Amino acid sequence: MEDEKFDCIIVGGGVAGCAAAKVLADNNMKILLVEKGEWTGSKNVSGGVLYGPTPWEIFPELKNTLENPPFERFINRRRLSFMSDDSSFSIDYKSQKYDNVPYNGVSVLRSKFDRWLGEQVEESIAKSDFAEDSFVATEVMVEELIIKDGKVCGIRAGEDEFESDCVILAEGVNSLLTRSIGLQKEIVDAKYVATGIKEVWQYDQDLLEAKFQLDGLEGVSNEFVGCTKGIEGGGFLYTNKDSISLGLVLGIKDLRDSNETVYDLLDSFKDHTSIKPLLKGGKMVEYSAHVVPVGDIDMIPKQLYTDGAVVVGDAAGLVLNTGKSIEGMNLAMESGRQAALAIIEAKKKRDFSKASLKSYQDRLSESYVMKDLRNFQGAFHFIHNPDMFKKYPDLVNSIMNDVFLVDGQEKKKTRDIIKKAVDESDLSYWDLMKTSIQGGLSL
Amino acid sequence: MSMSVKDRLATNKTKLSKKPHITVETDICDTTCTHKCTTRVCPAKCFEIVNDKMAFQYEDCIECGTCLHACDQGAVSWKFPESGHGITFRLG
Repeated sequence: MEDEKFDCIIVGGGVAGCAAAKVLADNNMKILLVEKGEWTGSKNVSGGVLYGPTPWEIFPELKNTLENPPFERFINRRRLSFMSDDSSFSIDYKSQKYDNVPYNGVSVLRSKFDRWLGEQVEESIAKSDFAEDSFVATEVMVEELIIKDGKVCGIRAGEDEFESDCVILAEGVNSLLTRSIGLQKEIVDAKYVATGIKEVWQYDQDLLEAKFQLDGLEGVSNEFVGCTKGIEGGGFLYTNKDSISLGLVLGIKDLRDSNETVYDLLDSFKDHTSIKPLLKGGKMVEYSAHVVPVGDIDMIPKQLYTDGAVVVGDAAGLVLNTGKSIEGMNLAMESGRQAALAIIEAKKKRDFSKASLKSYQDRLSESYVMKDLRNFQGAFHFIHNPDMFKKYPDLVNSIMNDVFLVDGQEKKKTRDIIKKAVDESDLSYWDLMKTSIQGGLSL
Repeated sequence: MSMSVKDRLATNKTKLSKKPHITVETDICDTTCTHKCTTRVCPAKCFEIVNDKMAFQYEDCIECGTCLHACDQGAVSWKFPESGHGITFRLG
């Protein structure tokens, strides 16, 4: 295949790269999807819940898999828990309105899920005009982009060089190639990224379903704040088919400035009274970690395209943090789709210049990806108020403790409970008022 | 409930490359760096202080990228392992 020039080379077999490759193959483009791991997804990690209809639109085959889906469970129950050292207060919502395809969210284990996506790309290739000339190539680590006359026109992996009209950079958050051509800053500041650290605990499936009150394919997602010793971030627990994904996401700048150690923070989270009993009867079967963009729009390159290349997904920093959920994979897939559509247009015009590929960014700007990112920057900054990671969760638990307390003493009215809790906290009424107004406006 | 990082890492499958994909100028860590944050933030404990000196090993690396972003001293040169090597997650 060395002599053949591809319409498009996609670097990275994650959700963004597979989505782009699928759309391109479905539209009869001659493509090469390269993945450095053993299979698409084999080096990929996420929390993770994949939200919304985008995956179902790009991979309509998903709805035929419900007997044995490549995802884990659909999420029809959402919990948000505020933790103090010894207590936790949760908001818990479950609805049958979330029971239908396309699901509002599905839990995924990326090594399984992205592998399936890669297989779908191969099936689309087989049905295309380039069944013999398009490829999904694994164990190919792209070392550099080939640049001629200032235009990206291929990739080099070891001794092998592959040429193409354009390249989609779907290489993930550790975006060395994107940085090498100046689409992303050479050094991405620690304040824009967090470390996700995760354990997968496996159970007998009946035990898991009993523990988490699950029926059939339904699942629960639980996010936690207050479990990070004041460090920017939070915890997560997602139910998979016969396991849970449990972990923390920790802001790297805050971590650097603290004295905390990531695995000690994870241990202390697992030892919390609302987590520890859940692990009984389970077995830790996989330990993983990955950097994740925190959702600050300032991390996203102003320009997501150049001559012969576009950047998508985590490599572009496309993560949305609304305070209600963290969305990354759906944004990645949507950006992959929009990049593919822009490239299909570019092929018709036989123009892969910067001016032509700008249509990718225009498309993305008009899609929910950039609209949500712009609309929810206030929410992002609101929940990154440092008080959110310790003082507020402590305050909420201190109030709830007195609300439910029966101690043989004269009971206090709620108003007095709140006054006592605020007086005992480091927060002032002014802080509370400011926070409620900001929260009301931004969330 | 607490497990050592070594035991945790034992659940993973890695095909080790002979060439280190990450190199660390430990002289910088030992002299000008005041926080030595990599010893705390690396989830795989690849950075440790041994006899008052920074010691780095790439063998346990799970390619997360934390040190790439956490080190603000210019001590970490970060790449992915060569084709066909490094971590493989069964679940991910």
